Amino acid sequence: MKKLFKISLLVSVTVISFVIFYYSLKANNKNNPNIMLNKPLPAIELTSLVNAHLKQELPLINRDKYYLINIWSSWCVPCREEHPILMKLKDKIKIYGINYKDKKTNATAFLNKLGNPFYFTGSDKDGSISIEIGAYGIPETYVVNSQGLIIFKHVGPLNKKIYLRISEIIK
Amino acid sequence: MISNLGAVLLIVSFLTTCSTLFLYIKNNIIQKSSIYLQFFLFYKVSFYLILFSFFVLIVCFAISDFSIISVYENSHTDKPLFYKISAAWGNHEGSMLLFILVISLYGILFLLNSKNINDSLRACTIFFQSIIQLIFLSFLIFTSNPFSKIFPVPVQGLGLNPILQDPLLAIHPPFLYLGYVGFSLVFSLLLAALILKQYNSRWASIAKKWIMLPWSFLSFGIGLGSFWAYYELGWGGYWFWDPVENASLMPWIASTALIHSIVVMEKLKKLFAWTAILTILTFILSLFGTFLVRSGVLNSVHAFANDPERGVYILFIITIITLGSLIIYILKFPKESVNNNSFALFSRDFSILLNNYFLIFILTVVIVGTTYPILLSVFTGETISVGPQYYNTILAPFIFIFLILMAMGPLMKWNGNSLISIKQKIFSFFIVSIFLTILISLYLSRYNFIFLLGVLCSVYLIVSVFYEIVMSKKTFFTKQNFSRLFSHLGFGLLILAITLNHFFSKEINAKIHLGESFFKQGIKINFLKSESSKEKNFEELFGIYKITKDNKTFILKPSVRKYKQPQQFTSETSIQRDGLSDVYIAMDYAGDPSMGMGVRFYYNYFVRLIWISFALITIGGIVSFVRRGNEKTI
Amino acid sequence: MRNIFLIILFFFFIPVQLAMASTEREINIYKNIRCLVCQGQSLNDSNSDFAIDLKKVIKKKIINKKSDKEIYNYLTERYGDWILFNPPLKINTFLLWGFPLMFALLGGVFLYIKVVAPHLRQ
Repeated sequence: MKKLFKISLLVSVTVISFVIFYYSLKANNKNNPNIMLNKPLPAIELTSLVNAHLKQELPLINRDKYYLINIWSSWCVPCREEHPILMKLKDKIKIYGINYKDKKTNATAFLNKLGNPFYFTGSDKDGSISIEIGAYGIPETYVVNSQGLIIFKHVGPLNKKIYLRISEIIK
Repeated sequence: MISNLGAVLLIVSFLTTCSTLFLYIKNNIIQKSSIYLQFFLFYKVSFYLILFSFFVLIVCFAISDFSIISVYENSHTDKPLFYKISAAWGNHEGSMLLFILVISLYGILFLLNSKNINDSLRACTIFFQSIIQLIFLSFLIFTSNPFSKIFPVPVQGLGLNPILQDPLLAIHPPFLYLGYVGFSLVFSLLLAALILKQYNSRWASIAKKWIMLPWSFLSFGIGLGSFWAYYELGWGGYWFWDPVENASLMPWIASTALIHSIVVMEKLKKLFAWTAILTILTFILSLFGTFLVRSGVLNSVHAFANDPERGVYILFIITIITLGSLIIYILKFPKESVNNNSFALFSRDFSILLNNYFLIFILTVVIVGTTYPILLSVFTGETISVGPQYYNTILAPFIFIFLILMAMGPLMKWNGNSLISIKQKIFSFFIVSIFLTILISLYLSRYNFIFLLGVLCSVYLIVSVFYEIVMSKKTFFTKQNFSRLFSHLGFGLLILAITLNHFFSKEINAKIHLGESFFKQGIKINFLKSESSKEKNFEELFGIYKITKDNKTFILKPSVRKYKQPQQFTSETSIQRDGLSDVYIAMDYAGDPSMGMGVRFYYNYFVRLIWISFALITIGGIVSFVRRGNEKTI
Repeated sequence: MRNIFLIILFFFFIPVQLAMASTEREINIYKNIRCLVCQGQSLNDSNSDFAIDLKKVIKKKIINKKSDKEIYNYLTERYGDWILFNPPLKINTFLLWGFPLMFALLGGVFLYIKVVAPHLRQ
């Protein structure tokens, strides 16, 4: 009887561990890039890329229903890839650009050549503004609502799927 | 063509292993005979088949036969032959084949070195070994066949991760496998003894050498891995408490506990149940380590190609083996041997019990630290990191007490019950080690509490070992405790070296322009010049640095390599000896070179003593194995 | 006698932990932070763009006399607990610290009841 009890205990413990580790294979136990999701956007002050006197503070409360923040750089290849999507989004939503560790001439040349989707472009010379809003690298895109909450975040270049999702959100 | 041969060999070895099992069952149950010649012969054949298919795999890699997926994914014609060959076990499929080869190799070694044991125990052990072999062979053939084909045949391979193109790392996995896969044999031996009712103190004397052999290999393998991380990663450290490192540490701690408890079982006929459980635990932790490393549940510095799908299979195998072995244990564990489990407080046997208590605690910390982030993410979806500080904080106090006990334990008598006879020794060791600690701290002028405690405790152990060596000078090489002294000395030196290294190492991160120099913490780094060269599979940029420290100068030549296939940068460190310490420099490959070349400089105090201690620990194990091997008493 | 000696010794050497030099403090913080875009590296060991930016931000915070805790809070707010190598004691990490210690305690009690107590009774 005692042996039977031991064996059933053993079997249940082993099976439970199996199930837990089985789920661990599927769970995301690495990084969770969405920690900032549904949190207020930290206050930042952008200095215009073209005019050092022109400043823009974010977040804007009760101004636009939604606006978009995009971190980009002229030397970043995926940014070039996602640029047409930003150009398409331009008419639907105000886009604030954060120009990450870039040279002013390269950045303006990039925008002149491929078009400027940004309502306002701030420059982030040392990457500290990107860190302030919890970015990992470039490109990265945030959708912020009128209350200043980050309601959507995407790490990496935008694609058609993400474009449709953003359009859905801001409708 | 030759790749087909490999695949066929694998199938045939699978079938041979099946027939081995069948032969055993036929022999035992149907014929009730105890003549196992045919059975042993079949097992040997299965070993040679596996060995042969492993050679075929190596040949496929050597001739770059890209019709095989694993060759295509992990090799390249531009690679030197040595790395082509080592790539054979540098990938998942090949390493699993090596895994099986080691299981089989241990079976054969046991078969050849166990003629003095009764045939039924031998046969039953081989029977269980074949079951393990069969389980992993089917895993290999059905989920990760190293001879899987690709069509159309690619012209060129994808190459091997440059960080793995290193002579040490090429030989590191075989040693690790000879280590923890080797515990399969003592596991089979245990199950066989339980089934045949031969689980007694004689079993302990047979089993001990089959623990010592893999234990020595594992100690050596862990040392190699640590050394590799030290000079290849370029971060100045030798142990990062990285999950993959922990995976190899877990079976090592469990088997170290086993080595101690099995002595009590052999000498005093106590701790039968505990020793059996430790034996099972050691092997299961080896498998668990394989699961952690191979399934991709971990985020680790050691980049392996992982696949969660495989993880499910490995998990399933672990579950089956755990259940099977523990059910056999519960059903077959002899009742009569449970008696006599009383321990006197100041006896050697009790101190071994304490040793096991500490080791199991350390093991728990390592297991919890490694699996906690995994489990947390399953239950709450949150992710956390568990880094070195956790382990250091929680383990350090226990390690210090552990060292003191390690020094006192061997002074006591088996079944003894008094401190009186050894009080004098304990006291005088304390005086001597306090004196030495004061000397060391005065010499180094550092009086941090933790530092003093670390030095005091490790010096205490070292002093006690030296006392024993001096006292048994004449009989030193014939005495039983020869191997123990080696390993204990190694452990004492290891903790001493780690303490010294922790408190006296220096680290400088700086950007230095060509021709300029940088001065900090009494160390001057001068960037003399840079050179570049071209090799077969990479381009290399060298920086030549002059280091001035305490009126000594060192010329170091670190480099950055740009590999072609796959395209990747690596930083090669340059290390020079300064006594037992190292002067160590690595260049950064990221960042803007016009801003100056980033270098990471480390002065690694007494780091060489760490490698020496690893060597001593390993030598202790080998000595014990060799001595046990020569015993003809059983 | 020996005890007295030990007490004197430890008193004599009670650590006078001077305020660490700012660079040493920086390195200690960097070592405790995971470079999120790298494989298991700490900030201190990495020179990726992300690591360089983050180091600059931390350096600035240190210059502005922010405490370690404030710096860690700043980072976990933005990147989660994953970024710290030394997990803070919270509800979700309680078992991480508690389980091994509980285990040590239970093991000690077990050894005491099984071995030490019967021995003392004799």
